[in-house]
Amino acid sequence: MSALTFTLKAAPSQRIDCSPLTPELLAEKTLDQIKAIELVSGKQKLSVESLFDVAGDDTNDIHVANSTNKLDFIGRNMTHGKISVDGDVGAYLGLFMEAGEIEVNGNTAIYTGCEMKGGQIKVNGNTGDFVGGARPGQKNGMTGGTIIITGNSGDRTGDHMRRGYILIEGNAGDYCASRMVSGTIAVLGDTGAHLGYAMKRGTILLTKMPSRGITANFNDCGSHTLAFLALLFASFKKLDSQFANIESFSRVQRYAGDLAGIGMGEILVKI
Amino acid sequence: MIINGVTIDETFAEAFPMKGTRLIITAHNAKWAMISAQAFTGFATSVIACGCEAGIERELDGSETPDGRPGVSVLIFAMGGKGLAKQVETRAGQCVLTSPTSALFSGLDEETEMALGQNLRFFGDGFQISKMIDGKRYWRIPVMDGEFLTQEKTGVAASVGGGNFLVLAESQAQALAACEAAIEEMKKIPNVIMPFPGGVVRSGSKVGSKYKALNASTNDAFCPTLKGQTKSDLSPEVESVMEIVIDGLTKEDIDKAMRVGIQAVCDLGAEKGIRRISAGNYGGKLGPFHFHLQEIMA
Repeated sequence: MSALTFTLKAAPSQRIDCSPLTPELLAEKTLDQIKAIELVSGKQKLSVESLFDVAGDDTNDIHVANSTNKLDFIGRNMTHGKISVDGDVGAYLGLFMEAGEIEVNGNTAIYTGCEMKGGQIKVNGNTGDFVGGARPGQKNGMTGGTIIITGNSGDRTGDHMRRGYILIEGNAGDYCASRMVSGTIAVLGDTGAHLGYAMKRGTILLTKMPSRGITANFNDCGSHTLAFLALLFASFKKLDSQFANIESFSRVQRYAGDLAGIGMGEILVKI
Repeated sequence: MIINGVTIDETFAEAFPMKGTRLIITAHNAKWAMISAQAFTGFATSVIACGCEAGIERELDGSETPDGRPGVSVLIFAMGGKGLAKQVETRAGQCVLTSPTSALFSGLDEETEMALGQNLRFFGDGFQISKMIDGKRYWRIPVMDGEFLTQEKTGVAASVGGGNFLVLAESQAQALAACEAAIEEMKKIPNVIMPFPGGVVRSGSKVGSKYKALNASTNDAFCPTLKGQTKSDLSPEVESVMEIVIDGLTKEDIDKAMRVGIQAVCDLGAEKGIRRISAGNYGGKLGPFHFHLQEIMA
């Protein structure tokens, strides 16, 4: 079997809802049936065949080639299998994703991994704002799974995040971990302004002190050796990420906040 | 059956089903991991009065523990899941949580799980922090020496308790030496513990008593001082009997432990005053697991 490949024929003029193109929704469909699937694009419904060249037959291994940032909702509600994308993708990559794997060789737009419940998203590039966040008006962002970003993340990364991991190999934008409820965000690079703004619980793990320092809303709890970090780094070893290669450390400076709220979150900075 | 002059009785040890789990206790160094493990497994020789049977399985180096620190694996068994959960929680709370630098992890992955640190977390008074790592939940509980890290749950295995054999010797010193040799070999077998002090029990019991309040009493048939007073199972030259009790995660584990233990006793042989190997059973009425000595040593 070969990967089921969707090659975008031309840059679309309108955004395209790609949510029907997941392993579970394509399972047991013939190639002709897949080509006949209609995708919502603005006010229109366009057939898959009119937008993509389709080849291959393995619905558990979906590949999107020649992608652009107008392809939204890729991997929505995905429960198994793999989707790989060459090129940029649009908004809501992996929305509500429960399991499986998505890998993007390009940049993603807003709401990557929004409210995802499990599985893994790896972005070999940069992401937009609200990675792992909650939709407007929703209380919980991602509740499980792992998002790996090899580049930089946008603003409000992990907004309302409830559980899971966001691992950023580059820099995080402003308001990283804003309104975070729980979970872990680790950043190898720098972080933007207002780190941990309105953070309730959860962990921000930094390998170096942010260039802007720690905000006044966080209190210094001192330097500590935390045993759980050894387990955390051990769990990173299986990842295809720089996080698998960083030397484990358990000695950190601990800051608690956001003290404007319940103040149960923490920023851990390697020392 | 006679091995090196030691008679292996044609009898069987009778064991019963228990629920068990393995826990891994780590600490800053091996010394403190052992101290915590010894506290955790203290007063846990027999379910008759302790509520559980527990013991140290073996020491672990840093490469074998979840947090990379030296540790000790312990096994704990009780007659039922609820009883086991209660014992684990109280012992973990009083003996591991309190022990300097300790951390506590599950050492057994099973479908059936029970609380480990799930309720201990409330000691954190709201400052406790949960972390999901590789699909398992851990609790970080702030304590005065830093943080107590514990896994939320541990697996519960259907296990076997009460495997045993009796060493019948010409003197107390010879019985003790033989049991020490047996325990040294049996400790090398994984998945088993010998819960009595040093692995050896000198007060084997029978079911029932002349006193209504007691459901177990001394095994008078094997008490050498009663040879002329009761229906004794001892020959005139036997002056001391000691028992080794084994609890294990499976029947096969107990089989192995009994085999190496009895063999170690037999290696000393009649020359060292060992006369017989026997076993405690209750006519097959107590437990469904029967360990036939001659079959084990065949």
